[in-house]
Amino acid sequence: MRLAITGYTATSALGCGVEFIQSSIAGNHSGLRRNDFSGCDLETWIGRVNAVEATNLPSHLEHLDSRNNRLTWLGLQQDGFLNRVYATIDRIGVDRIGVVMATSTSSIGRTEEAYAHLDDSGLLPAKYCQPKVHNLHSPGIFVAEVTGLTGPSLTISTACSSSAKVFATAARWINHGFVDAVLVGGIDSLCLSILYGFNSLELLSTSPCRPFDTLRDGISIGEAAGFALLVRKDLAPEAEFDLLGYGESSDAYHMSHPHPEGKGAVLAMEQSLKRADLPASSIEYINLHGTASKANDLVESYALSQLFSTQTLASSTKGWTGHTLGAAGILETVITLEAMKHGLLPGTLNCEQPDAEFKFPILTENTHKPINIAMMNSFGFGGNNASLILGRSND
Amino acid sequence: MTDLDIAGIGIWSPFFPDWPAFCDGINSGNWHENAPLQPGLIPSRERRRAPQSVKMAVEVLDQACNMASMDPAGIATVFSSAMGDMQITDYLCKILVEPPRLVSPTRFHNSVHNATTGYWSITRHTHAPTSAISAMGYSASMAMLEAAVQVAEEDTPVLMVSQEMAAPEVLRIICPSDYPISLALLLTRPGLFPHPLASFQFGVQRKSIDWPGLHPDLEEPFNGNFGSRLLPLVTAIASVSSAQTNAPNRFEFPLSKSACLNISLKIRENIEVHHE
Repeated sequence: MRLAITGYTATSALGCGVEFIQSSIAGNHSGLRRNDFSGCDLETWIGRVNAVEATNLPSHLEHLDSRNNRLTWLGLQQDGFLNRVYATIDRIGVDRIGVVMATSTSSIGRTEEAYAHLDDSGLLPAKYCQPKVHNLHSPGIFVAEVTGLTGPSLTISTACSSSAKVFATAARWINHGFVDAVLVGGIDSLCLSILYGFNSLELLSTSPCRPFDTLRDGISIGEAAGFALLVRKDLAPEAEFDLLGYGESSDAYHMSHPHPEGKGAVLAMEQSLKRADLPASSIEYINLHGTASKANDLVESYALSQLFSTQTLASSTKGWTGHTLGAAGILETVITLEAMKHGLLPGTLNCEQPDAEFKFPILTENTHKPINIAMMNSFGFGGNNASLILGRSND
Repeated sequence: MTDLDIAGIGIWSPFFPDWPAFCDGINSGNWHENAPLQPGLIPSRERRRAPQSVKMAVEVLDQACNMASMDPAGIATVFSSAMGDMQITDYLCKILVEPPRLVSPTRFHNSVHNATTGYWSITRHTHAPTSAISAMGYSASMAMLEAAVQVAEEDTPVLMVSQEMAAPEVLRIICPSDYPISLALLLTRPGLFPHPLASFQFGVQRKSIDWPGLHPDLEEPFNGNFGSRLLPLVTAIASVSSAQTNAPNRFEFPLSKSACLNISLKIRENIEVHHE
């Protein structure tokens, strides 16, 4: 089921484009800062993308204005990604490329703003009457408008697994044959719903998040936009990396707590191995969901211990970027691809003393090692799990 | 074109609480006025707290699954709605206008688009994959495509849901939906279930088309509702006269401004058993 990954990019609190991922990881520079998000006075740390505030949409896209779409616009400009998309359109055709985006909260930040500016009769004023923005498909609509893509398009919203699942949908679409390529991506931006919502669940840390640390006490919310171009293998012999497998599952346990034995997580990882036709021993690095919540990290380490030898290197990169929710899958896929490209595996920033309760050792320090095959995990509310396997094309 | 079966249908709105009621409405013009939403799968003490989006989805998923008497453990789900739970969006946006911004934790975790399939997987103990999507005005047809492709590519039965709630006042200009509606179709590979309601072939075509019209009785309540777009398909299955003609019914549902989903539907002759 191999699919070629012919281009990718990510913009997060680390900066715009992949070069900042590499430099921040190598230098152990976190993108997290004390919460300074406009209108929010919660004591927590956030992964804000600095450049969003100064980003304006071009006039022909102004009717789509929202923080989420500004972040999407900013993200699409990086790493020559749009040019890669245009070149693929020239080769494959504008109607043979699907658009599969992901988000948890879409443009709800704009909807929050609109509700604060209702007119005297309690309705949306003209400026905020944006049917293409105040909905869950806003990322898909925006990306299709920017790129001119006219094929099938949808937005997946399964909380924090959303932008891992875009790869599964894209693979099915390409294998079924009604498209030859799919532009996949995930975008989530900071908004009050998310900050006050996670605060209500008492899941926010008051310090920078510490994935897998004994003293971890919650997550840091981040924002990000990431994209990848998946192409039918025979149409992209030049690609450096491939999607080798994917797995999707449900916990069937609780809306906001993971299954205590990591049943869904294990199923998703097992299925991704099965689709890739690989034994667990072939996985050289795993980018973990590792949110730094008490429950997730404990359960994820237990799930790993059921499948992998303790020699397998595994880390969480959320100490650098924060938890970017619906964008986490694509951001961490891009981080994993960059790790493979440069032979530098990220450690787990802010993890000083791994929890003794863990059944699986966590990679805490950055490690230079060339690898060919890696896994990426994303788990979300509603017990929604997804796992991807990525590899070098020539392997 | 790929062949699939429709093994079960679940449907709910204030005008038809289930499939027999929908068939009765189509064939006899007998519609309910204010049908209750009481999904048996949600214990009565929890029903008051469960958000409407979850109650609607769980009700139609359960109906479709029960019609085929199929174990949900091996059935994947694809939930679709353009706007998600608009009552929760409305609640969050109102409470966040000014301090103290005390958000209900339950409403917050129910605000995720996949709360519907999450609740389903928890109550029916299924570890099968679940997804939740939106394609705004094209949500219903894109969910049908997404589910049908998943059946074909993964050889798994898939329950797809097309749903939209009534819009709260502020969001009505974004989504002109007056009445809630939810539709579930249980799609399987041909022959998996011995007595499917219908079989169909589907394919994607480059073509710009309009949505097929709704049954005249359903136009007024559901014309502006993105969740109603597949009703012509199930109207054909419900209709006694179309079941007797035996000729394939061809449908074209837009997927985007320039693509459409072709469905060639063949209704099974044993349809009468489902009209009791």
